[in-house]
Amino acid sequence: MGTISLTIDGQGVEVQEGKTILQASREAGIVIPTICDHKDLNPYGACRMCVVEIEGVRGFPTSCTTPASDGMVVKTQSAELTTLRNRTLELMLSGHPNSCLVCVHREACEKYRPGATKAGRATRCGFCSNREECSLREMALRAGENELGLPTLYSAHNVERSDPFMDRDYNLCILCGRCWRICEKIHGKPAISIINRGKWARLGTAFHKSHVFSGCTFCGSCIDICPTGTLTDRFARWYGKPDDRNLSACTLCAEGCSLFALTKSRRLVATRMTSFQWEASLCALGRFALAQIVNAPERLIRPAVQEGEDQIPCDWDTALELAASELPRFTESLAIVVSESTTREDRFLYARLAERLGASLIVVPSSRNGVEKELQGFTADLEKGRFRAVISGGDFLSAELLKGLNFSVVIDCLPSSGARGAKVVLPAAVLSEVEGTWRNVSGEVKELPAVSLPPGQARPEWQIICQLAQKMGLEGFEFKSAREVTSLVGSDPAPRPFDGEPRRGLRQLPSRFRGHLAADWVRPLEAFGMPSTPLEEMTESSKEGFEILERREVVPNMYFIKIMAPQVAKFAKPGQFVILMARETSERSPFTLVDWNGAEGTISLIIEEVGRSSRELISLPVGARVAHVSGPLGMPLPMEKKGTVVLGGGCYGIGAIYPIARGLREAGNHVIVVIEASSSYLLFMEDELKTVSDELIIATKDGSRGTRGGVQEVFVNLVQRGVDVAMFVAVGCTFMMRMAAEATKPLGIPTLVALNPIMVDGTGMCGACRVSIEGRTRFACVDGPFFDAHGVDWDELFSRRSAYSREEIEAMPQMVDLNALIHPHGSGGGCGSSCSHR
Amino acid sequence: MSFKKIQEQANLEWEQFTRSKPLRVLIGSATCGRAAGSMEVMQAFEDELNKRSLTAQTGVHEVGCLGMCYAEVLVELTGADGRRVLYEGVGPGFVPTLVESHLVEGNPLLDKAMAVMEGEDLEGVAHFSQLPNIQHQVRVVMRNCGVIDPARVNHYIARGGYSGMHRALSMTPDQVVSEMTASGLRGRGGAGFPTGVKWGFARKSPGDVKYVICNADEGDPGAFMDRSVLEGDPHAVLEGLLIAGYAIGASQGYVYCRAEYPLAIERLEEAIEQMREKGFLGERVMDSSFSFDIKIKKGAGAFVCGEETSLMQSIEGKRGMPRSRPPFPAVSGLFGRPTNINNVETLASVSAIMEKGAQWYQGFGTEKSRGTKTFALAGKINRTGLIEVPMGIPLRTIIEDIGGGVPGGKKFKAVQTGGPSGGCVPAQFMDLPVDYEHLAEVGSIMGSGGMIVIDEESCMVDVARYFLTFTENESCGKCVPCRMGTQHLLKTLTDITEGCATPEQIGTMRKVGDSMKKASLCGLGQTAPNPVLTTLRYFEDEYRAHMEDRKCPAGVCRALITFHIDPDTCTGCMACASACPVDAISGEKKKTHHIDQDLCIRCGSCRQACKFNAVVVN
Repeated sequence: MGTISLTIDGQGVEVQEGKTILQASREAGIVIPTICDHKDLNPYGACRMCVVEIEGVRGFPTSCTTPASDGMVVKTQSAELTTLRNRTLELMLSGHPNSCLVCVHREACEKYRPGATKAGRATRCGFCSNREECSLREMALRAGENELGLPTLYSAHNVERSDPFMDRDYNLCILCGRCWRICEKIHGKPAISIINRGKWARLGTAFHKSHVFSGCTFCGSCIDICPTGTLTDRFARWYGKPDDRNLSACTLCAEGCSLFALTKSRRLVATRMTSFQWEASLCALGRFALAQIVNAPERLIRPAVQEGEDQIPCDWDTALELAASELPRFTESLAIVVSESTTREDRFLYARLAERLGASLIVVPSSRNGVEKELQGFTADLEKGRFRAVISGGDFLSAELLKGLNFSVVIDCLPSSGARGAKVVLPAAVLSEVEGTWRNVSGEVKELPAVSLPPGQARPEWQIICQLAQKMGLEGFEFKSAREVTSLVGSDPAPRPFDGEPRRGLRQLPSRFRGHLAADWVRPLEAFGMPSTPLEEMTESSKEGFEILERREVVPNMYFIKIMAPQVAKFAKPGQFVILMARETSERSPFTLVDWNGAEGTISLIIEEVGRSSRELISLPVGARVAHVSGPLGMPLPMEKKGTVVLGGGCYGIGAIYPIARGLREAGNHVIVVIEASSSYLLFMEDELKTVSDELIIATKDGSRGTRGGVQEVFVNLVQRGVDVAMFVAVGCTFMMRMAAEATKPLGIPTLVALNPIMVDGTGMCGACRVSIEGRTRFACVDGPFFDAHGVDWDELFSRRSAYSREEIEAMPQMVDLNALIHPHGSGGGCGSSCSHR
Repeated sequence: MSFKKIQEQANLEWEQFTRSKPLRVLIGSATCGRAAGSMEVMQAFEDELNKRSLTAQTGVHEVGCLGMCYAEVLVELTGADGRRVLYEGVGPGFVPTLVESHLVEGNPLLDKAMAVMEGEDLEGVAHFSQLPNIQHQVRVVMRNCGVIDPARVNHYIARGGYSGMHRALSMTPDQVVSEMTASGLRGRGGAGFPTGVKWGFARKSPGDVKYVICNADEGDPGAFMDRSVLEGDPHAVLEGLLIAGYAIGASQGYVYCRAEYPLAIERLEEAIEQMREKGFLGERVMDSSFSFDIKIKKGAGAFVCGEETSLMQSIEGKRGMPRSRPPFPAVSGLFGRPTNINNVETLASVSAIMEKGAQWYQGFGTEKSRGTKTFALAGKINRTGLIEVPMGIPLRTIIEDIGGGVPGGKKFKAVQTGGPSGGCVPAQFMDLPVDYEHLAEVGSIMGSGGMIVIDEESCMVDVARYFLTFTENESCGKCVPCRMGTQHLLKTLTDITEGCATPEQIGTMRKVGDSMKKASLCGLGQTAPNPVLTTLRYFEDEYRAHMEDRKCPAGVCRALITFHIDPDTCTGCMACASACPVDAISGEKKKTHHIDQDLCIRCGSCRQACKFNAVVVN
């Protein structure tokens, strides 16, 4: 193919024949905005952002689909093109939650809230796990439009969580089609496509089947290519944008696929395919399981030795010395069993140790069914009494078999029944935590960099063996790094081919990692029919606890819940709160009372889905029981006559100010209620609030209703209008309350805020809810929740609130409901069409 | 068998059809006729003839649609005198009288007779060609509809069918293309691209495998031209496709027809089978070196699949979604091969042109828009149905003469041409010549031929809302301007009809409409705002009345109207009270009635029920 020359923006450009105008422009360094185009995909022409003008051609063709031709004169910039692109962007954003993009407080808010809130449906950037990587957001911010002329048409799709490993929030989807196109490119027949038409068009599988049964192999390419936060890796999503990416390889089977290890603060958050090609694709294990194994909360983190019946944690020296003193006694009756998933360097050192001690070395490869003949032979030998001691690099031996031995050392990363019965347990660093090399079935040697930090005191196996050997006085183990070993490994044989094609089907995956059932540690794998050890079922009495009488999603993520709790209802007062536990084992979480009825014995709450505990609560159906309700807690707000009182509510605070407004109005005050939401479709309880206030004023961050901005803007307007405000009470997120406080401080108007620090018991015992008010330490649970807003140490409050942000992310459930997989649309919960969005 | 022999055989059969039996009954039984009960009428005829032992002497036949929907079921009777009389509105109960009087006694029933098709004049009954709605029509595409039995290929051949193909085979493909170019035929699917030029592109495009496709995915609400032709004369279309295949060098043709047209598909399947038997299809068509085959692809009814690139995706088994051009189908179409797509009506014209010559065809229409065009007349018009007129005919002739004007003496307000992709042409353009150029001048399009007549009692905002409901539903969702734009337009229109929109939103609608026109990927999105933009252009005051005064001048939008009873005109007849479904009307006999506004649901039943126009809308 020859080259052609054309003119783009007055610049002469030479490109290969067959390139599109967009490609030609890119080569010439000319940027044309686009979102559906991707370098690894065929032209599609859906987003219509890349329109250009071509001399002699009518209209505005898209540069991504128009082939460049010789002598063409192209304009990529003109006033009309800018208008057209901005309007198209405006249309695109009108179908995508956008209030954060046009919010006047965006920068301040993002400074205070660097991480996204772990909400259910994304209703704005602040609730979107993809915020830091979103191409649409980037394009919108670059375009600089900060006002939308069109209302947001929020579709209120339920977040799809029934499939393993991925969360899909089609409220964010702009139908750029990248996902199904990459699926088609990599796998030939796509598992997903656009289903339905027009307004109802969205991505989905044929006949709404679960992805597990739709031909999807869970390679994750759709997630990795999605420019918005629609398709996400459930495990990785809330960690935010990874800060490092290294080329590495998967060692879970003989294929040894290359992958990118993505890390954040030296923690492995995800593994991804290295390029969008079939050849480079990964299986479900390689894409999703590695990070979950490495980050398993059950990881072994301390050495331990057996004393009597118990295993006692100890330091490394103690454990190594015990092993070093015992092992030399066994020589030929010692067996060393290691997994093939360890690095070549580790296995070289294991082999050297075996050789020096005269022991047998058994290397266990990975397989689909997990019955490796190497292990079978070894177990048979063991039963015959051939060995009296073992070093086991994984879950290869049952507790019974180990008990029959004179001595056993387990070097592993995860607990097992075998490890519990071992004389010495040494915690090992694995996978992305270990530096080394690995040879795959085709003989290629792949580099494995250590990119994440091992948990606790876990060490790489090469180091453990060297230290153990040195303690035994053996020579030839004086290595300072795995790299020093690499050159000695020489030409080790390639592993035996894996007995399946993991990338082609969900039933072809390796079932074990270091002898452990992979599905035991990565539970979503059960959905693929992979074997696992059954979990102990939690049984809770259906008669105990507090019955849920009513539950509905009033606006996306915001649930109204009515609970039978007579003792709380009897004593509740405005401004008080309760602490709920969804189950016996749940976290305790505080919620302000929205309403109560002493005669009925009921209380009402507004619960916003922002993480694990709130999700547990809102997932309970009507008729189910909340395990614990304690309250009423906190100091009630005094209902005194003051004159004109302004109450500001945002998010859950809209519900929380309701009883306060009612009480203050009954006390004879002139009550002005101001509520804010990021967009009009997120406002609720308007009718109820109208009945308890003299005036109801609305503010939205995107200006879709009422005043554009927040409570503070409305408040300042009121004061400027000459309203003599005696008191201002603000309830909402910490940022909103802080902004309110900053607005009222120069005006000298007494302001109260309901602080929301992390709280555990709610009775003043634990001190978790400590806040500083005018330099004095107070407890929000018993001294609050209402405090003088102008005395609050806000920075401290923000930092204390975010103290457990990593744990909060780790706590997000990864399990899938296997029943829901079979009946994907049986019981979804959520509001769907019943949601009162406008 | 030579084509001449085939023709002789066909003529024989046609002769038999027209003359062999002394009595004959023809029943219009396309889908429209069947919906009106033609199958029951046919059964009634058979029963009655059987009872009178007339079966042997009488031929009872199904024919296609004459286009007069308002007069279904249409029955043509030939008595012993050989005079053919067309009856309108025939129900099964009327059949015995008809048989008795006309067939047995030889006395045509004058009050039910619509026209004399052939033979001696009847007193007070016009000759068919002299009917006011027929005399302005020229039937090229519909030449056989309602005349022949569509299930018989010989009828078609006897009426000149397949001689066009026979003639084409005696020419080179290039000559056929030139003939088509010379005829001036323009694509009847809506865009009006010259057919000959289009064929020329596909002919010149390099490639050993090429395809021709007949686009029978008629989807405009209220349009049924293609269906009628396929049901009434399938061979006319298939012959056109055969000729197109020969002209561009294709050996495979497809008919993409929506599954909602089961009768059309049945007719096509029969016709293809007959073509094969006659040697018009398969290896060596008519003993020439040209080989050709036709497959039918059933569409699932997505409007966007009428767009050529979506249609091809659908044939390929993919989701029907348009793709950008270039490459044009003539270069890379179905399965990546050079492809030519023509609409049903175009192909039915092609077979006629090849039969009679380009010169003949040029005799109809205007200089830039040659030939005839079919229109589906619907809405507020007396004679709804299918018509075929020469291009350039004044709109007034269509509405007033052919259509018989607006019913009930109401005022004509506008006509929507081109369905949801078109625009409205207001009454002020009554004398507009109907052709591609003039329609475009006033902001509308020819489209595929839907014409929906709107009278003074129709609200233009509501009309626009109706079409946007359709396009919002039918947008494939691929490109942003169309998917989101239709939603915004519909939402705003709905807000207007519900009285909760502000005048500034007119600007927003114009802005959104403009973006859609300029930035949408395919014709659906580019034309979807037309109903809004043209109604805004000609009826902005009506929009403003909704927004500024919260009033619907036409009295349609329920949220903005109230019904009242005028005490001066009310006679107290109780008709409105008994028609009211919610018992909101009170009053005694001979006394003025009263509507309880709290109970009233503004359904308009009372207004319809009142014979004295005493129910007024505010």
